[in-house]
Amino acid sequence: MAEVDEASKPLLRDLKAVGKKFGHVMYPKKSTTLLRDWDLWGPLLLCVTLALMLQGGSADSKEDGGPQFAEVFVIIWFGSVIITLNSKLLGGTISFFQSLCVLGYCILPLTVAMIVCRLVLLGGTGTASFIVRFIVVVASFGWSTFASTAFLADSQPPNRKALVVYPVFLFYFVISWMIVTFSPSHSDGTTDTGP
Amino acid sequence: MMRQDSNDATEDVSLFDTEDETRRKSKKSKIRHPLACFFHLFFRVSAILVYLLCEILSSSFIACMVTIILLLSCDFWTVKNITGRLLVGLRWWNQVDDDGRSHWIFEARKPSTQGKTASSDSESRIFWLGLVICPLIWVIFFFSALFSFKLKWLAVVIMGVVLQCANLYGYVKCKVGNKSNLKSMATNYFGRQFFRQLGKKDPKAMKDTTMLPL
Repeated sequence: MAEVDEASKPLLRDLKAVGKKFGHVMYPKKSTTLLRDWDLWGPLLLCVTLALMLQGGSADSKEDGGPQFAEVFVIIWFGSVIITLNSKLLGGTISFFQSLCVLGYCILPLTVAMIVCRLVLLGGTGTASFIVRFIVVVASFGWSTFASTAFLADSQPPNRKALVVYPVFLFYFVISWMIVTFSPSHSDGTTDTGP
Repeated sequence: MMRQDSNDATEDVSLFDTEDETRRKSKKSKIRHPLACFFHLFFRVSAILVYLLCEILSSSFIACMVTIILLLSCDFWTVKNITGRLLVGLRWWNQVDDDGRSHWIFEARKPSTQGKTASSDSESRIFWLGLVICPLIWVIFFFSALFSFKLKWLAVVIMGVVLQCANLYGYVKCKVGNKSNLKSMATNYFGRQFFRQLGKKDPKAMKDTTMLPL
């Protein structure tokens, strides 16, 4: 049973680190803690959650939303890799994995927005619900972009900040677009695709 | 035991042999960390099994994919943080220094710490076999998914390849870093031998070489 103790110590340490980073994203201040010790557990968790939420309850249906699920994964990981490469090519001082970590953790507001959207969609799919969802997503989009640039822009020379922020903006824009346009109605209609 | 009865000379030898054997066996067969060994193999083998059997087990692609991703990340975490340290005494991690530069650190436990902390043969065999074979299988999966155009599976297969190869690379780096010390020792030794050969005309060196049994 000594092994369990030995295993639980690093597990607790890592979980604490992930929780602390979530806190930093929700309350972004100029701090390098998010950059100092990077990890990719939080981004993985957020990515899986987001992809699952975007499925629209079609997880049990025969006609799989599989490509869609994998698509979310590919967009998030490939997108953050591209942004990171871009910032590296522009001469950023931040290391590859640190940048991936920041970009991944800053999806958190969008994931929260996705949860709110699902809750709102439970209420109804009218114009009012769309307006509420739109406002929530725009707010969290701004939040994500602000948080990530707060962490990332420091690593860049001041005259290139816009060049780095621009793809970050696009990246979160695509994700928020997926969230805004998401409606579970089309996945409910999968029953008529079966034979 | 049979040979022990035959005569005294062989008795001595066989006694010595059996003693040595039992000692080696105790070192070999002892698995001090059964739990670590189990989880080292469990997560990666079951990830592969789920990938292979998902068509049979469940019709839902997403359930399979999430299961595989969970298993792969559990495996990555366990192997990187727990089993490598317990089973073979190696570990690797990344550290960011105050200047913001990241360093990869590959560490091997000093072989001088005998007894409790020393790793046994069977444990290290389990560790290395699991560590090497699973990434190979994932690479095979990658090519089979690529050439059969199962593009939706490609994401999870790439994840498997990346996570498992990262661990493999990390531990090989630890091991090689360990070996390079040995290698430098070996080159030092051979260098000394070489110089000894060169300096044969030197009477002192001559004496040294004559003292060698060959």
